[in-house]
Amino acid sequence: MALPGLSLPGLGLQPASTPAQGNSFAPPIEQVTRTENLPARSEWRFETSFGSPYNLRLLGGHAELFGVELATNQPYDLSGVQGAIFTWQGCQLEITGEAESEYAAEETEYATEWLNLHGMLETLRSERPSDGPRMLVVGSDNTGKSSLIRSVAAWGVKAGRTPTVVNLDPRQGLLAPPSSLSAVTLGSQMEVETGFGIAPTSGPTSMPVKTPLIYHYPYASPTDRPDVYKALATRLALSTTSKLEEDVTAKQSGLMVDTPGSLGLTDGKGNISEILHHLISEFSINVIVSLGPERLTNSLSKRYSTAKGHEEAIPVLRIAKPGGVAERGEPHMKQLRSRQIKQYFFGSANESLNPHSHSIPFDNVVIYGAKPLASATETSSYGAAEEEEDDYDPYTDNPTTTASGSGTSNAFFEKVTPSVAMTASLIAIKFCPANSDESTIRDSAVMGFLYVADVDEGRKKVRFLAPHPQGWGNRALVWGGWPEAVVDLVT
Amino acid sequence: MAARSPRGSLSGASDIASDFEDSLKDLQRNDRFAIENLTNIARESTEHAQAISRVLENHIKATAPTRKLPALYVLDSIVKNVGTPYTVYLGRGLYSTFMESYGSNNDPTTRRAMDNLLKTWKEPVPGSMDHRPVFPPDVVRPIESALIRWKTGMLQKQNQPQLQPQGGYRSTATPPQYNGQYAVPPVPVQQNAYNAFGSQQTPQQLAGHAVYHTPTPMQQHYAAPPTSVLHAPIDVQVVKADISSLISRLQTQFAAAPYDTQVQTKLSQILDLQRAVDAKPPFGDSLRQVRDIVAALAAGLPPLPAPTPQPHAPVQWQAPTPTPQWQPPASFPLPYQPQTAASYMQPPPAQSQPLPILTPGALSSLQALLANGQKPSTPQMRTAVPALSSASHTQLNNVQNNVAAAPTANTADLLAALAKSGMFPIMSAPNATPSVPFSASVAAPPASSTASLLQSLQSILPPASQNGTPTMIPAQLVASKPRIPFSAAALKQFRPELVRSLYDEQPNQCSNCGRRFLANDEGRAKKARHLDWHFRTNQRMADPNTGRGQHRSWFVDEMEWIRLTEFDPSTTTADAAIAATTAKKQKGPQDQYVRAPAGVTRNTCSICQEEMRSSYSEELQDWVFMNAAMYNGKIAHATCVEEIKKSSLQSASGAMAAALSGAYAGGRRQRSETPDSALGKRKAEGALAGAGARIKMG
Repeated sequence: MALPGLSLPGLGLQPASTPAQGNSFAPPIEQVTRTENLPARSEWRFETSFGSPYNLRLLGGHAELFGVELATNQPYDLSGVQGAIFTWQGCQLEITGEAESEYAAEETEYATEWLNLHGMLETLRSERPSDGPRMLVVGSDNTGKSSLIRSVAAWGVKAGRTPTVVNLDPRQGLLAPPSSLSAVTLGSQMEVETGFGIAPTSGPTSMPVKTPLIYHYPYASPTDRPDVYKALATRLALSTTSKLEEDVTAKQSGLMVDTPGSLGLTDGKGNISEILHHLISEFSINVIVSLGPERLTNSLSKRYSTAKGHEEAIPVLRIAKPGGVAERGEPHMKQLRSRQIKQYFFGSANESLNPHSHSIPFDNVVIYGAKPLASATETSSYGAAEEEEDDYDPYTDNPTTTASGSGTSNAFFEKVTPSVAMTASLIAIKFCPANSDESTIRDSAVMGFLYVADVDEGRKKVRFLAPHPQGWGNRALVWGGWPEAVVDLVT
Repeated sequence: MAARSPRGSLSGASDIASDFEDSLKDLQRNDRFAIENLTNIARESTEHAQAISRVLENHIKATAPTRKLPALYVLDSIVKNVGTPYTVYLGRGLYSTFMESYGSNNDPTTRRAMDNLLKTWKEPVPGSMDHRPVFPPDVVRPIESALIRWKTGMLQKQNQPQLQPQGGYRSTATPPQYNGQYAVPPVPVQQNAYNAFGSQQTPQQLAGHAVYHTPTPMQQHYAAPPTSVLHAPIDVQVVKADISSLISRLQTQFAAAPYDTQVQTKLSQILDLQRAVDAKPPFGDSLRQVRDIVAALAAGLPPLPAPTPQPHAPVQWQAPTPTPQWQPPASFPLPYQPQTAASYMQPPPAQSQPLPILTPGALSSLQALLANGQKPSTPQMRTAVPALSSASHTQLNNVQNNVAAAPTANTADLLAALAKSGMFPIMSAPNATPSVPFSASVAAPPASSTASLLQSLQSILPPASQNGTPTMIPAQLVASKPRIPFSAAALKQFRPELVRSLYDEQPNQCSNCGRRFLANDEGRAKKARHLDWHFRTNQRMADPNTGRGQHRSWFVDEMEWIRLTEFDPSTTTADAAIAATTAKKQKGPQDQYVRAPAGVTRNTCSICQEEMRSSYSEELQDWVFMNAAMYNGKIAHATCVEEIKKSSLQSASGAMAAALSGAYAGGRRQRSETPDSALGKRKAEGALAGAGARIKMG
């Protein structure tokens, strides 16, 4: 490209098409279709907003989006995506729509590194068929961790493997809305637009579905409730390990664990987060990939890459951050979350889904409120909300007071009555019965999510939006303060 | 009628298909009204597209040669006016349908009409909004390349009428690969375009849609040898010297870029050519052609002193084809590859000692090759591949290494190169040599032994195992995989072989979703199933009845997820999928039963001691105990047996869980003593799911 600097991500405030294409004179309303020729081993980086459509079509050559190959002449809708179409061989793209920023880049050494990582994993898979690679990817936010996992997983699938991907970042869902920790074994091709594909639905889907296992962690960061997070990680590791034991090919294909950026930070002395150690031991990690700063890599190497007593050495590999990764601001993340929630209930453009409305009297639901974060600043706002509902419904005073009375460190949940504060938030249905003890509720897998469409406190009825027409029986429902309410889901 | 059996399998479609068939039979000439009528039938019964496509295909194959063209026009009209799903169904068998019609017709006018027809299939439907060609390029391309090869062969034949074998019963030659086997040829053309792309030597390809239309008419023109032109005499020695210098330059290039398949192919081609020229000095037109080839290849190289513009890559590739080429009837049923394999695998003759007669020479060297254990299919070869690739850097003058390096780099490339580089070294030898009388009989033995060589070559590709099983093949593409140590040092170096393993080695791509398949029988079978799957789901999604009321399924619980074996429904056969699901179903203890022994209507469960009563099963026409299984020789509740088995299983995994969670102490005390007791409870809780939303809480 002639002047890639003009459309760097940070400068992309005005919707600008690439200057080299000479499209700047085009009327803003009309959809500009332009073609882009990319030489081999270069990429088309783009950042698109959620509202405006952005369509890509591969006209010739080969190209992939995070390891997933584009089919020739098929339109792909990539609005609300920050990504890069990479080509190993050179390609021609047709682009329709406007992006916040878009440019061709040839500094793509990262792709070589990623592909070599795939090659290394393949080598491990063929050399140790009984014990595949279990990789943990760690690094701070916006370093391309998820994109790396997506690419390596997609290449693995393409090479005929069935890798298992574990997402431990509650801020972004994997085949599920945010606030979920999930694991999925990829037995079929991944998808360009959605990345990992689609979770099962009742109808036909344009791509084979993937079946995830979901746990619920209704906080933004692992450090908000480290105890809950670690318990869920243990549980997820147990399920995943059991699954790999059942399935030889999945075990050979290995595990890829994505971590939230907060775990990629070191404290002042260069110590690694204790949660990270926990994850490494729980998932029996045998390969660590660090996208973070050198300091983190060094700490990890010091701790893990030499054998200590009974522990085997775990190789630590540092991979540079790709040049195309842009800061994803909180507004973008919020929109991403809101879209994930919408897609959970309503599906995507290709597979539209119908959620079902369930109106249930207060008496017939048992909702556990996940206790607010340990940190003092956050507590106040949530605490106020609960005060309010205690005041409103004296009948639930009893459980609430006992729960809070038993000490904050041990209790994760308290029974709450539906209140207006819940409106527009997500509620997780756990597989365990409603009267289970606290740790069972905490560790139980998620059957589905409900959206609180309306709370009628006068008539004591709550209206849920459920993904499924069937009821969920007498199961525990858990309401967390996070993710934030999505108001515009139902109008 | 052959069409009857497929119709029989599709009940409901039979009426429409037979109507269609009857009308088709009445079609004797290019009758626009009748063709439009048939198209309308097809348009209105897309739900029976499969049956109609089959009827049409069978009709085209079975009908008299004169009626084939009108029937092909029906096909054309349907795919252009109706499009999917017919393009999918008809596209699959298009190669055999078209080639058969082409082969059975020797009327030049008809053939020209068919040529024109084929040309329109590469382009979008006129006046349509859709940019896509009528048939995807990977459907049309094999036909085109087969026709080009065949036409070239025809022209060669006409040039040497005195060599026409005794089998002159055939006034028109059959297109290649048409004798009974319809294996779609490998996709060398795609490979070409692709390599040219990768090495960025053809900017014009980047500029336009050229990739799609690689076998352009231009190539066709090129493929036809310029025989009618009279040429000035050319010195054989000059040509030979040119060849030698070209070889040394190519070898230098190969040393610089051992993985560049284009260089490899060129090198092997020129070595073949050198052998042919050494064996029998060409003269006249053939010499002229040899010189042209050498010039073309030389022009494709970056010249040592100063750079010159690169010619169009496909032209270089096509270059070997127009060399003196003659195919005896004895080897007709065979594809081109065998002969090429022989020449390719042949050890290089020393410059000073040309082979006396090439055909026996090829035979003996081939036998020597086979005896030497150089068969690439042997496991040793596979394991030795990395070693060989490193050896090739040092011993470049030995072409044997070139041969060895090729599979290292890319087996698919090798196969493609084999198909592409033509078979002239052996076959050109008989041209006007005294050995003609026996060459036809001699040609057969190498052909048969090379066929086995070809087979062994193909067996380098992953074995066709686990066809249709729910799990995917774990060790695909092992042959070409480089070993990459897990180290930071290995991270920076670009390895084209990794890219190739993800692209070129799986050349068979789904045009819907971009998924790739191997170019072997298994890959083709998978792709066929995959396309069927796309078609079925697209049809279901388009159906307004199923379009409404879709909803998301609940997520699965832990036990279900652990037991679930992920498989790709799009490439798994229906049988395997059903087998998998029934196996899963059978696992459910509720569905198990034991036939009640005569006279026994009550039984006490040997585990929970509760009473069981027999019931009459309509399905089995017998009295059975439902939810029952034999446990230690007694009838017990199947669910109880399941619980007992599970608890013993859990104690094992419980130990693992304990080991796993060893590092985790905080919060641990709040969990029950056996960490996964909750997992055991799952099944019992499963009954809760159907209980409805309005259950009163206890």
